[in-house]
Amino acid sequence: MGKKLFYVLAAPLVAVGVALFISSIVLLFAGANPLSAYQNMWEFGTRLETLIETLNRATPLYLSGIAVAIGFRMNLFNIGIEGQYVLAAIIAAKVGAEINLPPILHVTVIIVVAMIVGAFWSGLAGFLKVTRNVHEVISTIMLNAIAVSGIVSYLLSIWDVPDASLDTALKEIPESGWMPSLNGFVEIFTRDIKRVELWGFILVAAAVGVAYHVLINRTRVGYDLRASGENAPAAEASGTDPKKMIMAAMLLGGAVAGLVGLPELLGDAHEYNLRFTRGLGFAGIAVALLGRNHAVGIAIGAFVFGWLDRASGVLEVRGDAPREIVAIMQGVIILAAVIAYAVVERKRREDEAAAAAAATAQVLAERQAAKEQGGAS
Amino acid sequence: MRKQLWLFSVVLAFALIAAACGGDSDDDTTTTTAAAGDSTETTAAATETTAATETTAVPAVDTNVGLVYDIGGRGDQSFNDSAAAGLDKATAELGITPSEASANNDGSNREELLNLQADESDLVFGIGFLFGDPMLAAATASPDVNFGIVDGFIEGAPENVAMLLFAEEQGSFLVGVAAAMKSEAGHVGFIGGVNMELIQKFEAGFVAGVHAVDDAIVIDRQYITEPPDFDGFNDPASGKVIAQSMFEGGADVVYHAAGGSGNGLFQAAKEYSDANGTKVWAIGVDSDQYLTAGDDVKDYILTSMLKRVDVSVYNTIKEQADGMFAGGVKIFDLSVDGVGYSVTGGFIDDIVADLDDWKAKIVSGEVVVPSTP
Amino acid sequence: MASAVLLEGITKRFPGVIANDGVNLDVAEGEIHAICGENGAGKSTLMKILYGMQPADEGRMVVNGQEVKFSSPKEAIALGIGMVHQHFMLADNLSVLENVILGAEPAKNGIIDFPEARRHIIELGEDYGLKVGTRDLVESLEVGERQRIEIIKVLFRGAKILILDEPTAVLVPQEVEELFRNMRELKANGHTIIFIDHKLDEVLEIADTITVIRAGKTIDTVKPEDVTARDLAELMVGSELPVPETRESTVTDHVVIEAVDAAADDDAGSPKLRAVSMKVHKGEILGIAGVEGNGQAEFVEALMGMRPLTSGSISLEGVRMKGWGTRQRREAGIGYIPEDRTRRGLLAGFPLWENAMLGQQSMEPYVRNGFWIQREAARSHTGKIVEQFDVRTPSVDVAAHALSGGNQQKLIVGREMSAELVALIAAHPTRGIDVGAQAAVWEELRQARATGLAVILISADLEELIGLSDRLVVMLRGDIVAELDPTKVTPRDLGSYMTGASTQGGES
Repeated sequence: MGKKLFYVLAAPLVAVGVALFISSIVLLFAGANPLSAYQNMWEFGTRLETLIETLNRATPLYLSGIAVAIGFRMNLFNIGIEGQYVLAAIIAAKVGAEINLPPILHVTVIIVVAMIVGAFWSGLAGFLKVTRNVHEVISTIMLNAIAVSGIVSYLLSIWDVPDASLDTALKEIPESGWMPSLNGFVEIFTRDIKRVELWGFILVAAAVGVAYHVLINRTRVGYDLRASGENAPAAEASGTDPKKMIMAAMLLGGAVAGLVGLPELLGDAHEYNLRFTRGLGFAGIAVALLGRNHAVGIAIGAFVFGWLDRASGVLEVRGDAPREIVAIMQGVIILAAVIAYAVVERKRREDEAAAAAAATAQVLAERQAAKEQGGAS
Repeated sequence: MRKQLWLFSVVLAFALIAAACGGDSDDDTTTTTAAAGDSTETTAAATETTAATETTAVPAVDTNVGLVYDIGGRGDQSFNDSAAAGLDKATAELGITPSEASANNDGSNREELLNLQADESDLVFGIGFLFGDPMLAAATASPDVNFGIVDGFIEGAPENVAMLLFAEEQGSFLVGVAAAMKSEAGHVGFIGGVNMELIQKFEAGFVAGVHAVDDAIVIDRQYITEPPDFDGFNDPASGKVIAQSMFEGGADVVYHAAGGSGNGLFQAAKEYSDANGTKVWAIGVDSDQYLTAGDDVKDYILTSMLKRVDVSVYNTIKEQADGMFAGGVKIFDLSVDGVGYSVTGGFIDDIVADLDDWKAKIVSGEVVVPSTP
Repeated sequence: MASAVLLEGITKRFPGVIANDGVNLDVAEGEIHAICGENGAGKSTLMKILYGMQPADEGRMVVNGQEVKFSSPKEAIALGIGMVHQHFMLADNLSVLENVILGAEPAKNGIIDFPEARRHIIELGEDYGLKVGTRDLVESLEVGERQRIEIIKVLFRGAKILILDEPTAVLVPQEVEELFRNMRELKANGHTIIFIDHKLDEVLEIADTITVIRAGKTIDTVKPEDVTARDLAELMVGSELPVPETRESTVTDHVVIEAVDAAADDDAGSPKLRAVSMKVHKGEILGIAGVEGNGQAEFVEALMGMRPLTSGSISLEGVRMKGWGTRQRREAGIGYIPEDRTRRGLLAGFPLWENAMLGQQSMEPYVRNGFWIQREAARSHTGKIVEQFDVRTPSVDVAAHALSGGNQQKLIVGREMSAELVALIAAHPTRGIDVGAQAAVWEELRQARATGLAVILISADLEELIGLSDRLVVMLRGDIVAELDPTKVTPRDLGSYMTGASTQGGES
């Protein structure tokens, strides 16, 4: 058990350690004091408000990471999360603004629309791969461009509601379509929260995480998916249709991707505008890598990335360091984690092989001993 | 898969790091010269560090000013730098204590940074209209702190918010007049960075100015990207391609409102002129780009449309320091030299009289410049 | 003759087990010395010690008359020892030349001297009959060619003593012959070769001396002319050996699988299977003989629903399976032991229990309602398979790649046989596994037949085919060219049908 825990924890801990070390060197070079920078970051980062900001940031990162991981599990590089969620968000925002339904139903409709749009857009890449053998990296890159620079731009221009501000924005979603904040719940255990709201969508993200974990590990569909990713010819021989699996992975990944923009949309902005956060699809790739495609791992990865992003605001304000140091830390963490994972994985494999060889030798030795004994008596 | 993943993560990691390094060029602070008629030279040399040590040494209770840049931060050679110049000037002349921060790469932490600055400042700026909603929330949450937003109009803003708006169309009108008067081909062009309301104001003013001189002048207009894609503000390659096609199509003066992409226009103007032996012109934007764009291309910059973000920031800080801060909308137009045009290089000295004529007409209200194309 | 390698009392302990228990080995200079033993007997550990990859706990090593103690392969290489691993260590996207010099680049003025390297490699190739194109990309090469490159790599580094770890396991018969030619050439040039193998006919053919290891101990060192394959096998296993013989016939006249004029193309679209017709009955083992590449693989894939028929049909229990996917066929009771276990049969990184459900992931007891995985039930069921089929593993949670090839194969055979089957397709079920495991698989096939399964057996081992089958067919160029009675046919006869030298019409 101790060993198992070691395998799980060694890599991420090493990665964070290495990242701290390298960041310290960079900070020193930049003429800053790493200790005071870290201390400021820690003090600011452990405030309740910052932690809530962190969770708000981590929620979409987590969804994005899960969406990527579904593809990774099946050996698919679905890097089209970006296009999928932006497209899903604007259409869901429009639908949400145009309809009027009772609260829970309203939110549900928005969520379902976003998932359908995401799945559809991702499914296109799957369809191209299955029918035309187009590599999903190529097709999703193209679909990203088409979605963001083509369709979303067009939709923005026709759905824009003119007003006095310079912002381009869609109609606001009525209040029944908002996701309530969880501040009231958190405050039961802590204190009054100032100025920030914990977006309710974190509950949906948690549910998605649980569903992902159960689906992947506890159901035949998940097994088929993982088997196809591990060894496609063997999965095929076991009765798994590789084409169906590709479609399933792309559709599922796309459906989750469709949710990525909703925490912000339903929890804060309530309208699609130019401020809508982009780039979360690519950040999700990093998070999935860091979390090794595991539901809990991705959650930790999302939290770490989210925290670095939110707690780092103080660095520049206090004059400690430019905030770019955080991007360096994130990059180093990924790099160090991937290397550390590879090393630990090799160690684990060696240990396993040694144990199996030992078991084999043990059986042979026992048999030998039994035989000798039998011969002697 | 394993190998691919590896490669992928390495690339990803380096991309992140490279992005960090790319954005970190905050020491080439640029100086902007004053608009025509304003001879004050801004001393924008980075006095940040000395100011900081000074204030720690002198514990006098003064004004703390927190400024939150939009994506790109200080060093973007454009909008953010212009605000930074105003802050630097205030630091040097008014002895305020500055604090800066920049939105992260996806701009998702604007509100957090405003709140953070509000905790430690008397006056907080958000640079750019995207700070609208975040500032409404932050200003409502911190009623004792004053706020200023550049380019932003916030509906229902509380009294502690000053909205600093610019009449970009008026300045653009004047450079439009200059373009029309300097064009020999009777054919000019406009390149917008991103096709959105703010940039459309530049387009509208420019077009009106050109046609005010001669209705028959042909105007090519093109935007580099459409929202939500903001790459158009930082894509010199595309700017260059578009400029080239305009010059080849017969335009001989091209105005840009495209931030960093404008460098592509300047390159194109130089290369086209060198190759064809006829001089074509570029018109800069926001700051006096004759001074910032580089020695090899500056001789092709006819003039620049000046948008004095630095003045607006400085003035607001001064009001705060003097205890005169007032919320609400503040228009920086031609009448207060909030916008204007530059004369560095001397290429338009011969038409300054005409331009001042038009300026007077606009200020007096005789000419009304449209703000939508 | 002097000893090139002398090992005395080598002992190596792993936690809880002794892998080598006072092993002695004396390899004369310039000989080909085979080391035989069951999987897990300690052969590989011994070679790793000799090559400096692992230190021995006890014992003495003498190389070329000089007592040595290696702490890394580098030191072994420096003394002229080279090792060709079972799994090749080549970079696919580099050329042959680049692969050979990788890590031992000849340099002139700090720059890699490619012309010199190329000259040296070509020279080595000519000297030992190891023909390679230095500019070819490794990924474009066949397995046999890759092996030659591994050997050249070792020679390039100046090895005089070569260790070959199961070199024939990955090769087809023609390639084995080529390898043996190379080995004789090396020997003629004064090299010493130590090779690990458990294919006894091969060992008897090529080795000058044979050392048998069992359960970490040296059992005997013999000369090939003094022993038969059976003797060797019994030395290895330590007991009398079963033979691949099927005793009483259990064949019924109930047809389970029937192919009628079944035809299929290969991946490139050229016809590979032409109008094959055959019937397999309940309780019957039908052996399919044939040189590899004559359509057997395509036939099996068509049977399993992984390759579409271009014409004809295949039925199960009288029902045409047209349009059935692989899963439907498996659920209908067709079991499948694939010919290439790592490619088609295993999920290397998954635990054994998840490998046990591969192919039955829609069935009880692994899943409930065809959807929910029953982890505990699956684990305990796997435990039963492990026990019943003697899969040697510390637990069912170990990843499949940790097991030796023979144990992997036993797991595959076990999982297929433990399903409720009406038919079983066994493609090369004993390929690459040791004699002990081989005997176990034979026994299982026999029992399957006795319980009324229809079995299709494809094998390159002719004795196995003749011994187990009730009926034999020979495939050649996508057709069935002969149907033979295994009680009346010798391997030699079968061989001539397989190559087309004999035809049924001509003989009978």
